[in-house]
Amino acid sequence: MDSVLLPHGVKRCSPWAFFFWTLPWLGLMAWGGLSAFLCLWKGLNQTNMSNVFAFALWIVFDLAVIALGAGAFFTGFLTYIIGKKELKNIINTAVIVGFICYSGAMAMLGIDIGQPIRGWFIFWHANIHSMLVEVSFCITCYLMVLAIEFIPIILENRKLEEIKELRLFGHNLHEIMAVFAATGTFLSFFHQGSLGGMFGVMYARPFAAREGFYIWPWTFFLFVLSAVACGPCFTILCTKLTEFLTRKKLVPDSAIQLLAKISAWLLSLYIVLKIFDYLAWIYGVVPRAGLTFESFFREGPYGIWLVVCEMVFCGILPAIILMTPQARKNQGWLIVACLLTCIGIVLNRFLFIIVTLAIPVMPFDRFWGYLPTWQEWGIGLAVVGYGFLVFSLAYRYLPVFPKERELNPVAGS
Amino acid sequence: MKKENDHGKPGHKYGMVINLDKCTGCGTCMVACAAENNVSVRPDQSDKERVITWMRLYRITNGKEFPDTEVSYFPRPCMHCDHHPPCVSVCVATATKLDFHTGIVSQIYTRCIGCRYCQAACPYGARYFNWWDAYFPKGKGLDRYLSPEVSPRMRGVVEKCTFCHHRLMRAKSQAYAEDRREIEEDQYQTACTEACPAGAITFGDLNNPEHQVSKLTKHPFTFRLLERIGTEPKVYYQSSRDWVRKLGDNFLPGEYQPVVNKTWMKEEWSTKPGRDTF
Amino acid sequence: MKLTRRNFIATVVGGVAGIQVTPLPWKFTDDVAIWTQNWPWVPVPPTGEFSEVSSVCNLCPGGCGISVRKVDNRAVKIEGRPDYPVNAGGICPVGMGGLQLLYNESLRFTGPMKRVGMRGSGEFQNISWDDAFRIIAGRISALRKSGRPEAIAAVDGNREGTTASALIERLMQAVGSPNYVRLPSLSDTYRMGNIVMEGRDAPVAYDLENSDFVLSFGCGLLEGWGAPGRVMNAWGMWHDANPAKRKTHIVQVESRASNTASKADLWVAPRPGTDAALALGLAHVIIRSGKYDAGFVAEHTFGFEDWQSTDGRPHSGFKTLVLKNYSPEQVSKITGVRPDVMVKLAAAFRLAKAPVAIYGKGKNDLNGSLYEFMAVQSLNALTGRINRPGGVLLPDPIPLNPLPYFERDDIASQGLKKPRLDRGGTQEYPFTQSLISNFADAINRSPKSPIDTLMVFSANPAFTLPDGGAFKNALAKIPFVVSFSPYRDETANMADLILPDCTYLEKMDDMVWPVGLQYPFYGLSKPVVKPIYDTRNCGDTVIEMAKAIGESVGSAFPWEGFEDVVKERAKGLYDAGGGRVSFDRAAPAWKPQNPKAGDKPGYNSFDDMWKKLMAGGLWYRPLDQAREWPWLFKTPSGQFEFYSQLIDQAIQRASAKDLRIAVRDDAACMAHYATPTSTANRSDYPLSMMPYEMINLASGWIPSPPFLYKTLPDTQLLKETSFAAVNPKTAAKYGLKQGDLVAVQSPVGEVQARIDLFGGAMPDIVYMPVGFGHTGYDEFLKGKGVNPNAIVQAEQDPVTGYPVWWNTRVKLVKV
Repeated sequence: MDSVLLPHGVKRCSPWAFFFWTLPWLGLMAWGGLSAFLCLWKGLNQTNMSNVFAFALWIVFDLAVIALGAGAFFTGFLTYIIGKKELKNIINTAVIVGFICYSGAMAMLGIDIGQPIRGWFIFWHANIHSMLVEVSFCITCYLMVLAIEFIPIILENRKLEEIKELRLFGHNLHEIMAVFAATGTFLSFFHQGSLGGMFGVMYARPFAAREGFYIWPWTFFLFVLSAVACGPCFTILCTKLTEFLTRKKLVPDSAIQLLAKISAWLLSLYIVLKIFDYLAWIYGVVPRAGLTFESFFREGPYGIWLVVCEMVFCGILPAIILMTPQARKNQGWLIVACLLTCIGIVLNRFLFIIVTLAIPVMPFDRFWGYLPTWQEWGIGLAVVGYGFLVFSLAYRYLPVFPKERELNPVAGS
Repeated sequence: MKKENDHGKPGHKYGMVINLDKCTGCGTCMVACAAENNVSVRPDQSDKERVITWMRLYRITNGKEFPDTEVSYFPRPCMHCDHHPPCVSVCVATATKLDFHTGIVSQIYTRCIGCRYCQAACPYGARYFNWWDAYFPKGKGLDRYLSPEVSPRMRGVVEKCTFCHHRLMRAKSQAYAEDRREIEEDQYQTACTEACPAGAITFGDLNNPEHQVSKLTKHPFTFRLLERIGTEPKVYYQSSRDWVRKLGDNFLPGEYQPVVNKTWMKEEWSTKPGRDTF
Repeated sequence: MKLTRRNFIATVVGGVAGIQVTPLPWKFTDDVAIWTQNWPWVPVPPTGEFSEVSSVCNLCPGGCGISVRKVDNRAVKIEGRPDYPVNAGGICPVGMGGLQLLYNESLRFTGPMKRVGMRGSGEFQNISWDDAFRIIAGRISALRKSGRPEAIAAVDGNREGTTASALIERLMQAVGSPNYVRLPSLSDTYRMGNIVMEGRDAPVAYDLENSDFVLSFGCGLLEGWGAPGRVMNAWGMWHDANPAKRKTHIVQVESRASNTASKADLWVAPRPGTDAALALGLAHVIIRSGKYDAGFVAEHTFGFEDWQSTDGRPHSGFKTLVLKNYSPEQVSKITGVRPDVMVKLAAAFRLAKAPVAIYGKGKNDLNGSLYEFMAVQSLNALTGRINRPGGVLLPDPIPLNPLPYFERDDIASQGLKKPRLDRGGTQEYPFTQSLISNFADAINRSPKSPIDTLMVFSANPAFTLPDGGAFKNALAKIPFVVSFSPYRDETANMADLILPDCTYLEKMDDMVWPVGLQYPFYGLSKPVVKPIYDTRNCGDTVIEMAKAIGESVGSAFPWEGFEDVVKERAKGLYDAGGGRVSFDRAAPAWKPQNPKAGDKPGYNSFDDMWKKLMAGGLWYRPLDQAREWPWLFKTPSGQFEFYSQLIDQAIQRASAKDLRIAVRDDAACMAHYATPTSTANRSDYPLSMMPYEMINLASGWIPSPPFLYKTLPDTQLLKETSFAAVNPKTAAKYGLKQGDLVAVQSPVGEVQARIDLFGGAMPDIVYMPVGFGHTGYDEFLKGKGVNPNAIVQAEQDPVTGYPVWWNTRVKLVKV
């Protein structure tokens, strides 16, 4: 039915099978659509957010997907700026995943703010001192860059490529991709950092507050580093998931291994610095505020185990795995390590958002707990559904994996 | 460092001293505040995570067993932090500002986009988001008591105590009409200050040594909430009870220095709480 | 150009793309943002001309001066008046939120109505005032014609001495029914205590502002006792920031760490209902030390030493009784208070320059116990604190003119000879004017209600009475109930006819002597706004009603309207002289002032005074000096009586048993403590329940303004459930945790509440807030929490017969 649209020389499932595959993701998106409608129509009382949990599930999702989507800019940086040619095999995946993550995050943010229609006031009445303004500017610009990076991939579609003008346009875009990669790198560095800065600058919240360099608290740099460490891991995971689902080998091991190795180094560096950060915080910021590290975890469901998980099981452990060539080359270990890395970063973001807000600062205030409503889950999961859907469509109709044909020769072509 | 205003004179720095010994915990300040500032009242006011209380009374206890238990109250308006208010620098749309002429931290409801970053940044919980439209159902006529001096807020924006800024405007207009340049101490008072039946709240210009607040802040029993974080709140508290003062900030073991205190049953000065036990 | 699919698509795509380069998208983005800033459903309060109207808050017997800010005809804010003697600027939270009682249509009756739905359903139909008067007058006339005027009853919640109350009482007299029933309050306990010990039928006057040691037995000083505006203002004065400079010390005697107990300089926690024992224990220590005011005791008291009556019988005196029965050790067993605390407290009380012991039970809404009052008053007498500055003052009553005499007809005279249904004033209840619990009981016991028509004024007894729901049951049995309430309260919802009063901001009303004030005070409120609905001042309604009944009833009410009556009574203030109608903040009314020769009262004729009284809303006589001793006490002995001869006479007429006095002989006539009796089995009901009152929750007939719910912590009300405060140790005994839902069961009923673990609660006592659990009113108040009054099982207080509401046996059952 849609065979004319499929890339040359590759095997794809039947349109019906594909249709059924998309159903659950369409379902998630419908759930999200309903939730979004309710939130926009009736207001944010549809959520379990509150004056205590001003930021909640959606912000955790936002920060998580933006960190995980960092594979796009970092892989682009490695490919086009550093010149790691083998990464050309995975750059498309990284870009698409990045695009999904960033566009999903933007959509979620649009619902998260109380006055979405006034969202543009961020730009019009921008407060240059606010880290969130920096984030907004950079993310918006970077999303455009990602869209531009995504365009040549779309134009490689078999049908679209038949149009000469589009083909030429796509080709020329390809040629200047290094410029966009550089722009993306610049923008990403700042918004990833600013996202960390957002929390580090909350100096009246001792759980999040950090000292730092000039106007940038350490979280600024740690967030950049953690994002570039986990971004490639997430790209690897997406590739491996696609390979598993399609039962095909899509990316040469060399590309995966290179990414994993780079990630290993970055993660190790990050963990070392993060340990220093924790120590400096526990012995600096926290006692200055009259608190102790343990005092943060005296009540409520959010215990020290979260920090232990973040640092040991999802930090040091995957760093060791990825640093060990034998382990890294083992498919199973590689996936476990990448998964742990990604979980570790999400945990880190969770701690900075939810736990920061759950811990009262005034000694007579109390500890609060939070559980999202179905509307909040709906919108969060809609981004997941959206991601699966867009990636599936891209895989089906676009030559996402340049080596696919080579690695999976189809009989008779 | 004193900020100077356009006329080259030191600006005003409005602030408040709340005497917790006088505070009876009656809640009139909260009601006066809500009534003065058109704060929405929804049928369920027990949802303390979402209810709007610019002035909020926090109930505290000394944690001792019967019959040594005591309760006390912290009335908490916006602190109008004087040094780099945590909420101001984070606001994306410049909807909240520290006015150097008055020391008041303002909030522009029509500019706020409702991102709530300021709420996350404020350690005092002084900022409130409008999770719902204001509750004025048709047919009840509750909107008839709304004051035209303060605009009711729409859903989706953050609001907070303004030190009854409209009262300052009122006093200024009055002064202008009477051809005066200065506003006297009693001409600008917040609604909670006036309402307190025990006179526990004193309001005035901290930069003016003649004002009562400037004198009260020098008292050894005076402290501020979370002083060591460095927000420089312009709301001060006073209590003769150690356990109350101790709850005003976080202290590591051994850090808290009790203020030497004279109790009424024992004539000597002691470091005991301000209340006697037999 | 031919319209092909291709062209069409090209046009649309081109068009959409083209619009992007026009200013349209920008304009639209801007416009919708402006729209969000001006949403049509966000109210925009209209502005207009600002004005301030002075009046008096009539929501409680406190009588605070208020100033209401108005914009054109709308009232937009209530504030306290600094130029008012009672409150000096501040007011309580209930008064502050008063506009929500005025401007809430679903809370109020918008005009006269008759019932159309089931009783209690709150479904009414509008009728005209003429119809309303025809219905009520017809019913009363018919009962009078059939010779049963006593089947008409009135329940009156107005304070005694107010013009409204005087008119209602007069109406009942004119109609010929003895069943005029008032709601019991602390003032009645004070009045009775003053009668039996001092022979004065007068309110109590505590000179708190001039005292340096206030020993409060149960007064909720910060919970709304007395005139809250006055007490809290005094509280502020007492608490200088430097405790070394603090002149006045406050000691609170109460079983729960209330705000007063916590904020006081010292909290003493005896078991509920044992205050008398504690007071006598302190008296014991003082007597034993020999440092009591022997001069005062010798000159102005009776019954301190042992004495002999004229028939030669020896009697033991107060001293003997106290020394025998109330040593600190004995008292400690009763109260649970450590003996050394009593010794030190007694010494502190004795050593203070101007101490005063004051008696109360929470707010003023509910009654206290006579013997407890006597015990506290005995302590004052022992230390010579009566008729002394800073102590208990005995000022003259307010010189209001009495209403003129009127002629009753035969029906009325016959009707008034019938016994009161509540047996108030009989041998069993010699000093009690009315007893609403007996009233309800009599109706509940009869197969057919002896009352045919009940009129309820300014009261909501179906909610406020601590009677386990007895009055509510009685209400259901009464064939015809008329409510004059402006609010859709529980009692009004049971009514057949509504003749709605105006709210306090829409009418003139008077306020006579706020509870506990030490100087005579008369307040006058005026309409701040015109009645916003078709309601009428209850005083006018009563006059109109009497005229509609006609005959001798109508002629007993010769006035045009309520204002005339108020003016006629106020004439007495002018005739008596010495009063002031304006207040200077620099000269507080409680500061003793010697009127200088040539001091002018500030008015030159009655009309002038009336004009100023209407404008300022106040009349008072500043504290001058102590009264002359001769003729001060109007007891049989002419002295302050430790041994009350009036009680003695009452026992002679009936018997101690009939008066429900547990002790015999001389002790029965003096302050004493007796273990309260309870029919409930201690093993079935191991705990006791004590209702408690809060200043930020209205517990009387006035609904709470919804603003107040902002002030309540979520450990008192969470969604629809209120909390019962229990000591953690008690909770542990029953395996209960914070927030557990429990059934609080008493022999008369059950309510469900959540557990709040509170260290300041006395072990084995369940404390429940009063003011929740409404079934009337609107969504702000309806169905929130439970009303502990519904499970109160109250014995009758000795002599007075008032309910002992602070001691209900209960058990907790986890739900």
